[in-house]
Amino acid sequence: MSSISVTRIQRELKDIKSECSGQNIKIELYNDEYTNLRGEIVGPPETPYHGGVFKLIIKIPESYPFNPPKVSFETKIWHPNISSVTGAICLDILKDQWAAALTLRTVLLSLQALLSDAEPDDPQDAVVARQFKENKRAFLKTAKFWAQHYAHAPGPVDKDCVEKLKKATEMGFFKDVSLEALSKYSWNLETAIQHLTN
Amino acid sequence: MTDMLNEVQDIINIPSTTLRILLAHFNWDKELLLERYYEYEGNQERIFADAHVISPFRSAEHCKQQTSCSSISCEICCSSHSASFMTGLDCGHIFCKDCWATYLAVKILDEGMSQMISCPAFDCRIIVDDSLVMQLIVDKHILQKYQHLMTNSFVECNSLLKWCPAPDCHHVIKLEYKETQPVKCDCGREFCAECSEPWHDPVKCMHLKKWLKKCDDDSETSNWISANTKECPKCLATIEKVGGCNHMVCRNQSCKHEFCWVCLGPWDPHGASWYNCNRYNAVDARKARDIQERSRQMLQRYLFYCNRYMNHLQSLKFEHKLYARVKRKMDEMQCLNMTWIEVQFLKTAVDILCQCRQTLMYTYVFAFFLERNNQSIIFEENQADCEKATEMLSEYLERDITTASVAEIKQKVQDKYRYCDTRRNVLLKHVHEGYDEDWWEYFE
Repeated sequence: MSSISVTRIQRELKDIKSECSGQNIKIELYNDEYTNLRGEIVGPPETPYHGGVFKLIIKIPESYPFNPPKVSFETKIWHPNISSVTGAICLDILKDQWAAALTLRTVLLSLQALLSDAEPDDPQDAVVARQFKENKRAFLKTAKFWAQHYAHAPGPVDKDCVEKLKKATEMGFFKDVSLEALSKYSWNLETAIQHLTN
Repeated sequence: MTDMLNEVQDIINIPSTTLRILLAHFNWDKELLLERYYEYEGNQERIFADAHVISPFRSAEHCKQQTSCSSISCEICCSSHSASFMTGLDCGHIFCKDCWATYLAVKILDEGMSQMISCPAFDCRIIVDDSLVMQLIVDKHILQKYQHLMTNSFVECNSLLKWCPAPDCHHVIKLEYKETQPVKCDCGREFCAECSEPWHDPVKCMHLKKWLKKCDDDSETSNWISANTKECPKCLATIEKVGGCNHMVCRNQSCKHEFCWVCLGPWDPHGASWYNCNRYNAVDARKARDIQERSRQMLQRYLFYCNRYMNHLQSLKFEHKLYARVKRKMDEMQCLNMTWIEVQFLKTAVDILCQCRQTLMYTYVFAFFLERNNQSIIFEENQADCEKATEMLSEYLERDITTASVAEIKQKVQDKYRYCDTRRNVLLKHVHEGYDEDWWEYFE
């Protein structure tokens, strides 16, 4: 690991601790290596993710900060620009728009902004993006339910979702698989079950 | 490149580093740059902005702001440096020299960028000029790579410049005019200015490219497969028929389908009435047979031309050995009271032989794409004449050269190579005339 990247990470961690206590973001080392970090962002208000705590995996490349860090969601999330399966993120500043003067703090803030403002025309997850564009109500319902289910977002849980999920699991399907199928088919229990049995 | 820079700089008075970026932005088309520059007279800011540089008329103001405090923290490595160790472009974003050097090295080595490296600040697209790169990078290899990338972009963008395609040759050829033409590099390589392949008169670049692709891919293997095999109608396994019986049983253990090789229908209904298989005449069956037939013919046609093309290519390789033999013979002759100039005819003969072979080789590529018509028959006659003459010359040079007396040899060799050269020129002239007059019709 080059010395620039280590000093930069050390400095960034210090800055984040002092500056960002109020901004609902957090970054810490993962098994004491500067190549492997864990981040946390809180879902911003007025979004279906409000109050949920989303964990991030941050990998720092050798050539950091001249090349972007590799960031993905560890907590599952229903969002057009984030893969609902792998947690991979589609965000320009993590790719070709990365600039050496950007920091992990700016990356996390950008991710928070991405949660409030999705870009369905440049999707990472085609299924979610289609639902976002064609059936916004189902999208909001799903995204909120996922945030409550996986990211411990507060608030009353949608009873319809709970019931359908319970029915699917009672038929012997795993919870995660059932939730994915139900979300994909906009909570149409029949088609979801059909998909699962095939 | 420097010539062009100086030329434009005489007209527009701006720093050469800025000018270089502007020229690169206009793909090194200086006329276009000048035209635009004067079109927006008075509003040249826009050109500078499009090319992602700061206008040189404005940059002076920024410099003053930078030098206000003595110690500044670099935004990349987060450590403090004295103001003299910080540097940056006219956009005003400054970073320490170490970070700059690493940043540029990453861009040049890992991403292969030269013209388009931008300022490392977020959302700042101002392009790094070459004087800064030269000043910051100490590693010789990186600088070399940078210069190479710069030159490369200059050559690629300039349609009158061509890299020599020979391996390890770093020469650039300057063309007089934009047209298909043979060019010769100082390293001895002769190539087509348009496609960089060896000079391939009379066939056109487009057809040669198609031909080479055809030779390269395994498309002919699949042609063979479609000419000699059929698929099992049930499991689609590819089957090559090796016996005479048309009652096929698929060897795929999980399939074992029984079918008729001729009509590909199930075997059961054939039964006893097989020998006048009524489905044989059905439209579908005939269509399927026609497709197979055509594919077989195409393959044969390709093999015919490919065979002759390869044959000349092979001979051409052998003729290079002939040079060595001829050289020995020439030395011998010089011992027999002949002057150096008098024995040059032998080398000329081999030169012409090679030229003829190369031309003949490419005429087969030309012929492969050619549809038959009256002119193509004349072309084939010419080709045959040239080929005959070439083979005679080749034979004479290889065999009879050792026996006869020197004067006789000289007479015969000269006769033969002159005839060869005439036939070759006739052949080429006819093809070129055909291009001009639109005689040629092509397949596909």
